[in-house]
Amino acid sequence: MTYFSYFKAECLVLFRRKQNLVNALLFFALVIVLFPLGVDPSKAFLAPAAGGIIWCAAALATVISLESMFKEDYADGSLEQLLVSGLSISWLVLLKVLVHWLGMIIPLLLLTPIFSEMLFLPDGVLGVLMTTLLLGTPGLFLIGSIGASLTVSLRQGALLMLLLILPFYFPIIIFSTSAIQAVASGLPYSGLLAIIGAISLLALVMSPLMTPICLKASVR
Amino acid sequence: MQSNISLTISDLWIERGDRDLCKGFSLTATSGDIIHILGDNGAGKSSLFKTLFGLVSPVEGEVQLNGEDVLSYRDPLLKQSLYISHALGLKSVFTVLENIRWYFPKVSEADIARVLSLLKIEGYLDVPIKALSAGQTRRVALARLWLSDLPVWFLDEPFSALDMVSIQLLEGRIREHAEQGGIVFFTSHQPVTLLSPRRVELTA
Repeated sequence: MTYFSYFKAECLVLFRRKQNLVNALLFFALVIVLFPLGVDPSKAFLAPAAGGIIWCAAALATVISLESMFKEDYADGSLEQLLVSGLSISWLVLLKVLVHWLGMIIPLLLLTPIFSEMLFLPDGVLGVLMTTLLLGTPGLFLIGSIGASLTVSLRQGALLMLLLILPFYFPIIIFSTSAIQAVASGLPYSGLLAIIGAISLLALVMSPLMTPICLKASVR
Repeated sequence: MQSNISLTISDLWIERGDRDLCKGFSLTATSGDIIHILGDNGAGKSSLFKTLFGLVSPVEGEVQLNGEDVLSYRDPLLKQSLYISHALGLKSVFTVLENIRWYFPKVSEADIARVLSLLKIEGYLDVPIKALSAGQTRRVALARLWLSDLPVWFLDEPFSALDMVSIQLLEGRIREHAEQGGIVFFTSHQPVTLLSPRRVELTA
């Protein structure tokens, strides 16, 4: 087993199990569609809330897609084989997160312009919304991989994982929506983007340290 | 393959949930050794393997590979060993070939075809793993033994779900590997016929 063959295998698994990804994206779409129906379809309400709605839907869809991240590997014994392969687990985890992130972010970025049009997102804000998604979602995935690895051996771990990682999602969501509000009201927002990037970088450092420890604790 | 390897386990004490699985377990294996680890269900055979790979932490004890401690830094042992556990580590959404390619990206098509025909699964190259029977799935996992060049093997119940012909084939491969200077550890509840392994009993 090499890093490259693992990467190829992960891509293939994602492709064969595309239903998981489609489910998460469908969930993303449903949350966004339900908001105007449930609260208020007027432009006055939706335009300032659009960024926040899209971000919350993206965060929840991320949790849904990550919940099963290590489940199958755990059940079929390939997680055990990865741990004894002699390759660095940290790199393998990063590769896995990269594959899952790419699989999610590309359709998400394609869907966002459509939904932002639907939610009356003010002109000129779409670019910043896409930038915050690009900068922030790596953090969501990296933090999520810690939660997924902690709950991998539990039968009903989804809710527990949600409770564990959602608090760590708050800063990313708060700073992203503030950046969107800032640009909508003409304020400088580059500092907020820098903070989102910094959180993702911190997650990039912590996740490859924590996830292997949690995985080893789960495989016993 | 490295010609001279030695694996020394000394005074290993493994505990799982307040229960001692083995205490003061010592064993030395050198090139050419075949070691059959015996023990009742739950005696700690799998835990012993998992301890060596760092998946379970021992209470105390030492494990040395060629005189080098591998309990604190396991990479030398992991890079030399092949481990086939109860869970076979095959992806059910992959075909047989994709599963083998995942483990051995560099092995040639011809070698894979040769090994699969030896194991009588040559016709299943493009069949998904989930469509195979239990014995066939196990044979796909065991194909790694013919394709790998790692010297130390840890096989957890390799004979289960196999038919008589496959068992003899596997025993032949284990003997061949030992003759080439490898070390084989295996657990089995069935007696082996072709091999004359060193028997080590695990008792609490």
